[in-house]
Amino acid sequence: MITAGIDIGSITAKAALIEDNRLLGTRLQFTGYNAQKAGKAVLEELIAQTGVQREQIALVVSTGYGRNSVDFADKAITEITCHGAGAHFIDPETRFVIDVGGQDSKVIKIDAAGKVLDFAMNDKCAAGTGRFLEVMARAMEADLDDFGEISARAGNPASISSICTVFAESEVISLISKGETRENMIAGIHESVASRISAMARRVGVTEPVMMTGGVARNPGVVRALGKKLRVEIRVSPHAQLNGAIGAALLAARMQQAA
Amino acid sequence: MNPIDRFQSVWHDPNDYARKRKQQTGRKILGYFCSYAPEELIHAAGLWPFRLLGTRGEVRMADTHLQSYCCSLVRGGLEAALNGSLDFLDGAVFPHTCDSIQRLSDIWRLNAGFAHHFDAVLPVRLDSPSARQYMIDVLNEFRQELADAFGTEISDDAVWQAIGDYNRIREKLRTLYELRSRAPGLFDPSTVHRIMTAAMVMERREFFEQINAFLEGVDPDAAGLGDTGRKRVVLSGGICTHPDIYELLARAGADVVWDDLCTGARYFEGRIAEDGPDPVAALADRYMERTVCPAKHRDTTARARALVDMVRQQQAGGVIFLLLKFCDPHAFDYPYLKKFLDEAGIPSLLLEIEEQPPPEGQLMTRFETFVDMLSD
Repeated sequence: MITAGIDIGSITAKAALIEDNRLLGTRLQFTGYNAQKAGKAVLEELIAQTGVQREQIALVVSTGYGRNSVDFADKAITEITCHGAGAHFIDPETRFVIDVGGQDSKVIKIDAAGKVLDFAMNDKCAAGTGRFLEVMARAMEADLDDFGEISARAGNPASISSICTVFAESEVISLISKGETRENMIAGIHESVASRISAMARRVGVTEPVMMTGGVARNPGVVRALGKKLRVEIRVSPHAQLNGAIGAALLAARMQQAA
Repeated sequence: MNPIDRFQSVWHDPNDYARKRKQQTGRKILGYFCSYAPEELIHAAGLWPFRLLGTRGEVRMADTHLQSYCCSLVRGGLEAALNGSLDFLDGAVFPHTCDSIQRLSDIWRLNAGFAHHFDAVLPVRLDSPSARQYMIDVLNEFRQELADAFGTEISDDAVWQAIGDYNRIREKLRTLYELRSRAPGLFDPSTVHRIMTAAMVMERREFFEQINAFLEGVDPDAAGLGDTGRKRVVLSGGICTHPDIYELLARAGADVVWDDLCTGARYFEGRIAEDGPDPVAALADRYMERTVCPAKHRDTTARARALVDMVRQQQAGGVIFLLLKFCDPHAFDYPYLKKFLDEAGIPSLLLEIEEQPPPEGQLMTRFETFVDMLSD
């Protein structure tokens, strides 16, 4: 039996196909303006890529912030529940998931079966998310993909005290004019993101092992800073951005089995 | 107008209701902010107690007087006083609860320009040997101040009468809650919330007639309506002014079956004794014995135990905390309440709210996940 999961995030749309508890294939592309189209497109591309027939897909679960715009999905499930299931699939030992995406950051405590026990997410403000890092990368004229590597060379991370993305950007600009090194500034930005997320994680209560997912997990600088702040080892999901889609496909399979 | 439409229209525009009703009845109106305001005494004085719930509009004028870290109830309340939307009030009473309400009292007295202003400096510790007598003294002082200000007398008989009126209203509200708990599908998700708002703002005799008529029209055994197939949750916190929360929760798959909100069950909790030598002492006893709000103290863990008991008694699967942003007393209570719930194996969700409800998408993600978390 094949099932599909589609995760429509604020920046990227992801799809995953699962057959008998085995990952058949995944796909990631930009969401763009139209979330509905993005869901259809990402699944079609994945079908073409894997050679699976549309009729073979027994059930589709959508997730992510655009989950309700995927009108052909059989069910919409929140990304928090899906991330729990996805993290459990990728590493069954996982008991805590830190998911940092384009505009959301979430911390999720899960049980031995991947079911959500408790969670918290950011509200009102995108500090400590991927968007924050994007704004900072723009201010520094650096490529976000290089952030992790650059920050590893920092001698003395700069302190970024503003929580607000807009104010933090001006803070970075004054640091630039003071001649602070790029390495230190980027490391400081990572620490600032890590502070936000670790405070939220502590409120829920961290249980090890911890897995990090979402686009920001691809930035080793943030992962390092977060591990240091929380004093835990953080395992990065090999499918960081696809974790939600994989979880959705798994939950679809579970629904199909229960039916 | 049938009762439900009446409640709905009062909820929709409490100020408009008060203005018109005051014209018809000539009854003077005293505003209050908190479930510790001794409204039985206000009622006994022939006045109409009117619960102030902030504003649904923008806060502009109040921010000239208040720091932005005051809660939206305080900021919105002052805004309404300053922008003229409470022009029907003859005054307001401020019971001693949190710091913000106390300071609001001063700012209000100096800037709002209403004819009358009262402070009721109630005890904070309710379990000390002198607390009960202190409470009685404060209530008597307020009774005297009210009588002097409005040139009337508040006899013991009038207080007994008011106690009877309030007991009867509170019994009806309890019946309403019990009906919803037994069969959540009997009402639209936000109906009980709207009725509770009406209970605190409507002229009380009219409210009593309307709630009676409403309850008479409810068929508790209405076929098929009772079981919604949704999960049962309890709300905890201070005030809730957002009917959307009930509707979105229902959409996410959960019914609110009880609460400990001061705009909810705390309002009708506790019956006042209708006999005894002193009606004010009887009144004081209800305020002393009711489950405490975090701005009062009695027995360090009483509130948490009451919450756990409520969840079990109501067979609810979890608790949703609705905390007003910047409400210190509730925020300080939250960690220990959550710890008690965790230890009892009761899942909970924390939601910070302001005068405007949070964005729907965010709210639905939280609610749906929380409902997924609750065991079947």
